Amino acid sequence: MHRLAVIANFTVENFNTMAIKNVELVMSPRAPHYVGDGFRVHNFIPGGYRLDMQRMNPFIMLDYNSKFYFTPSDKPRGVSVHPHRGFETVTIAYKGRVAHQDSSGGGGVIAEGDVQWMTAASGVLHKEYHEENWSKEGGDFQMVQLWVNLPAKDKMSNPKYQALSNKQINRYTLENNSGEIEVIAGQYKNVQGSASTFTPVHLLNAKLNKEAKTDFSFPPQYNTAALVVEGSVIINETEEVPADHFVLFENDGETFTVKAQENSIVLILSGESINEPIAAHGPFVMNTNAELMQAFDDYNKGKFGYLE
Amino acid sequence: MNDFKLITFLTSNIDIDKHSIEALIENCKLLKVDKGSFLLRQGEICKYSFYVEQGLLRYYSIDEKGKEHILQFAPETWFVADRESVYFNQPSHYFIQALEDSSVILLDENFITQLAQKNTSFLQFNNKLLHNHIRHLQNRINQLLSATAEERYLDFIKIYPNLLLRVPQSMVASYLGITPESLSRVRKDLAAKNFKR
Repeated sequence: MHRLAVIANFTVENFNTMAIKNVELVMSPRAPHYVGDGFRVHNFIPGGYRLDMQRMNPFIMLDYNSKFYFTPSDKPRGVSVHPHRGFETVTIAYKGRVAHQDSSGGGGVIAEGDVQWMTAASGVLHKEYHEENWSKEGGDFQMVQLWVNLPAKDKMSNPKYQALSNKQINRYTLENNSGEIEVIAGQYKNVQGSASTFTPVHLLNAKLNKEAKTDFSFPPQYNTAALVVEGSVIINETEEVPADHFVLFENDGETFTVKAQENSIVLILSGESINEPIAAHGPFVMNTNAELMQAFDDYNKGKFGYLE
Repeated sequence: MNDFKLITFLTSNIDIDKHSIEALIENCKLLKVDKGSFLLRQGEICKYSFYVEQGLLRYYSIDEKGKEHILQFAPETWFVADRESVYFNQPSHYFIQALEDSSVILLDENFITQLAQKNTSFLQFNNKLLHNHIRHLQNRINQLLSATAEERYLDFIKIYPNLLLRVPQSMVASYLGITPESLSRVRKDLAAKNFKR
């Protein structure tokens, strides 16, 4: 009797400190649409079932270009000049290369494995195209574009870039070399993320070899999701998630496990919700409609600058 | 049913209860059209006035050289029709095309007549709408005859605050009666004046 009671006690304590973060929803990719002519994307946030901006806040948009072969083209495909205000855009390149240019004269190339974290904040005009040489050869193209919301106090701050080449991204190496976690932002175990953020955000690329298993812990209230970019994984020992599927976690426990059934890449997102109203229209995400109208007016009147 | 923008528009402008409007609108057709579809082609008779619930239409002509001239954009809550064709029952000179996937309510004479019968203040309101439209057209003619490209552009963004992000610049230029190059110049000059960092 005595011994049994002790075991029960121990189990309860263990459960309290390591409460499981359960899967709320596994979502298959929706029919793709084109952004410009260079990005063939499945939208998960905010269009998807239950994945509206407030539910996923601070992750207010996620477009996923699943692996897609683009034929060679002398004229690079892409998206022509457009503005952004009120948030950050994060581009994660898994396959292919993207060249970008903006109205303040900045520009660069996001190559395979790189991440570009652009704080649009008060406003930028930019364009994104397949990088010229890559476009001429064609090939598999696979990217994620994520929009991270900014709190009201930072929405009108100065725009900036964090260009993270793959080498610069801090990594955590898993036991027995069974894989690594690229810590794009936030933290994984003792490794700090490479990008700075305005509010608490964890963004991780888990690259797991077949049979590798690891765990992730985030505060229960953080909005948390995962996108299987490559391979196939099992979450919490029960939920099988194939490639190109999106997992939404409940806002209850802290910890979940990911086990790779084959060599896999999983993008993991977790962030503290920004508890403010959202007014969004097209490329602007603000707090009120008046601010949205102002954004349109500023854009129309050239206050975002000029770019051909 | 309750969500129709047309119902909100009518009930907030004329003294009529929501249920009477709903009953009338139930007899109208709601058309869902894909981007690129035509609601009117040159040579056809325009049978309806179109009210845009969602999406965006353009009303335009094509000249002998094949060049397009946009008379009007109709985003959400706008009406568009070839009134000449509707009223005089004549083949149209114009095209009406969806620039985005759109939902459009088709309003015919019947709707207008019945609404007028139910509510006399509607005729007054309809008259006001018509004069508003004439004012808009007069302003367009005057601008095309006398205003600079920048003045036309500034007027355009007042009328259509979010269209620049929804249509190609060549279409904006076509509406303004200027070349795409002059539109670029106008926007570049404005940015030079207004862009501060």
